[in-house]
Amino acid sequence: MSPPTAAPPAPQPDTPSPLARAGSRVASARMPTYAITGLLVVTVAATAMLQSGFFTAYGLSSTFATILPLATIAVAQTIIVLSGGIDLSIGTIVTLSSAVTVVLMEGDNARLPLAIAAGVAAGAACGLVNGLIVAVLRLQPIVATFATSFMFGGAALLVLPSPGGSASPVLTETYRMVLALIIPVPALLLLILWLVWRILRAHRVGQYLYAVGGSAAASYTSAVPVTRVRVLAYTLGGTVAALAGVALLADSGSGDPFIGNELTLGSIAALVIGGTRLRGGAGGAGGAILGAIVLSLIQGLVFFAGIPTDARELVYGGIMIAAIALAGLLTAGGPRQPGRTA
Amino acid sequence: MGSIPQRRSRNWRSLAALAAGGVLITATACSTPEAGGGGEDGGKEGPFTIGVSNGFIGSEWREQMLATLQKDFDEYKSDGVVDELVVESADVDVNGQIKQIRNLIKSDVDAIIVNPNSPTALDKVFGEAADQGIKIVAIDQAVESKDVTNVVIDQGEWASISAEWLAEEVGDGGEIIAVNGIDGHPANEARWEGAKKVFDDAGVKVAANDYGNWDQATGQQVTKDLLASHPDVDGIFVQDGMALGAFQALESEKKVGDIAITGEARVGFMKRWQEQREGDGDFTSIGVPNPPSVSVSALHVVVRMLEGKKFGDSLEGNSVYLPIPETVTDENFDEQFDAVKDEPDTYAVDHSVTAKEADDYFQ
Repeated sequence: MSPPTAAPPAPQPDTPSPLARAGSRVASARMPTYAITGLLVVTVAATAMLQSGFFTAYGLSSTFATILPLATIAVAQTIIVLSGGIDLSIGTIVTLSSAVTVVLMEGDNARLPLAIAAGVAAGAACGLVNGLIVAVLRLQPIVATFATSFMFGGAALLVLPSPGGSASPVLTETYRMVLALIIPVPALLLLILWLVWRILRAHRVGQYLYAVGGSAAASYTSAVPVTRVRVLAYTLGGTVAALAGVALLADSGSGDPFIGNELTLGSIAALVIGGTRLRGGAGGAGGAILGAIVLSLIQGLVFFAGIPTDARELVYGGIMIAAIALAGLLTAGGPRQPGRTA
Repeated sequence: MGSIPQRRSRNWRSLAALAAGGVLITATACSTPEAGGGGEDGGKEGPFTIGVSNGFIGSEWREQMLATLQKDFDEYKSDGVVDELVVESADVDVNGQIKQIRNLIKSDVDAIIVNPNSPTALDKVFGEAADQGIKIVAIDQAVESKDVTNVVIDQGEWASISAEWLAEEVGDGGEIIAVNGIDGHPANEARWEGAKKVFDDAGVKVAANDYGNWDQATGQQVTKDLLASHPDVDGIFVQDGMALGAFQALESEKKVGDIAITGEARVGFMKRWQEQREGDGDFTSIGVPNPPSVSVSALHVVVRMLEGKKFGDSLEGNSVYLPIPETVTDENFDEQFDAVKDEPDTYAVDHSVTAKEADDYFQ
């Protein structure tokens, strides 16, 4: 199957202009990168056509405000999946973190930093629990995190028994700000998240994640601290999931003891569409972010295309299958390197 | 398939052209072609586009709510008052409902009728809608946002009616079990607060309280379990949408007539009630209607808000409380049952304010 994007401009060796360098990077990218980029272009174009106000300040800021929580949780899941694990409790970690944050914040700007720190710490602690259970006790990740999802979801209900509490005005207002007329704050946060991921990937810890996910046995013989890397992956994932919880809080402005629970499967769908291998060792958070954007836009498209409300879920599910199949086909046809994508 | 936004923008373009040509005589100053460009206080030009956000589709009640709304909307439409009803209805969590409302905002609706999944977590997105000049009406359960007008029945009062009946049946010192809706759900909390107060005041002991998610099958299972652990209770307090299930559980334990049970004003339950009346004169029950056509009442209200009318003293805080329809009792049963017996079992006894009654809410 040929890549859906147009052929990149030929690199010019003598004068490596930024454009040419970008071109050569596109050329060296793995097939899933083409797939997800193609999907992104198609969905953005379709959305812009069907939704008249898409490129207005409100259109962009509301779109990114919706995307950021899903994209963040998809990045969290990607870190765990890359290391060879999976986390079915990740949605409840999001819920618990946002519950802790909102309860401590009490709508007070002065308490914002401490409340967010506590929420993130709660997420990291949940991740650590998952990591210890999976890597040290060696329980099956799917079953173990399914079980811990009830623990974390239950803890969220103890912290915040019924919907309520309010986020501080600074948090909710900043989240809705649009900089330089067209750059919504959530889009900027998404960019920062991706940059932090790039730094992690370049770091030794990032290399270890791929190594352990690719082959735990080979990593072990190469003196990679496999158990510690796995625990770290879950802890990092929990920490990033907590940030998704804060984003949800900023978006809704109020606490809810179930707010993140349904995001778990969405996070897995986003990373698969983004070209991450569910067995671990290949893929990346950049793809997961694009996958989350595509998923979110498709959901909007189904509405704006005028499909009757009762048929929307069916159509959405069908398109999602097509997107996953496309990503899967192109991944299978790609070069056999245990490599990475953006 | 024609897309909604395209049709909308065509409408607006033609409207703008008409206005520019001076053909359309504008009564008010604002006729900007941008959606939601209406003034905060003045009325807007029709026809209006109304959006609907419903975040729970697992019940027949919600289907009836949407179906009756569509029917009355079509009447307004033939009068040229409104042009399109954009419906967002799916099982969603709070995030999903935020998305629904954002989609409606982006479809240039003039007003949104919402059955909210949360009393607080939609406040910010309601604010986004209000910023665009969109009127918002919450039905079925109240929200706190000042950008929203609630058009609801008083859920606490609703529950206290059947609670008072049950307290009378079991008497001072009686023991009951309670089958409530969804734990933490705002309507459920308001109802149980109202009912619990009645029981406390009447000296009725609540032996156990569990949740049947407003679902007949779940309600039946929960009632069965509660009866197994508390076989000696005198009564069952059960919310609507589960009373038929609870009754069936009571039946399978062969305790119909021994244990008093609150009923519901829905055809399925009323059929069983009728059978009991024919067989055993002792059976007694009560059904307080919770009208799905609150959506229709809300439509009447929101159209008047869009026309720029001001509320009179009908507004308490940010809520308009609708009258609770006449309770179905042993005394008026025959008459009430006759009116609805040809409807499907899932049909809920219904009521909405008329357009004229809605006028009375305004100055």
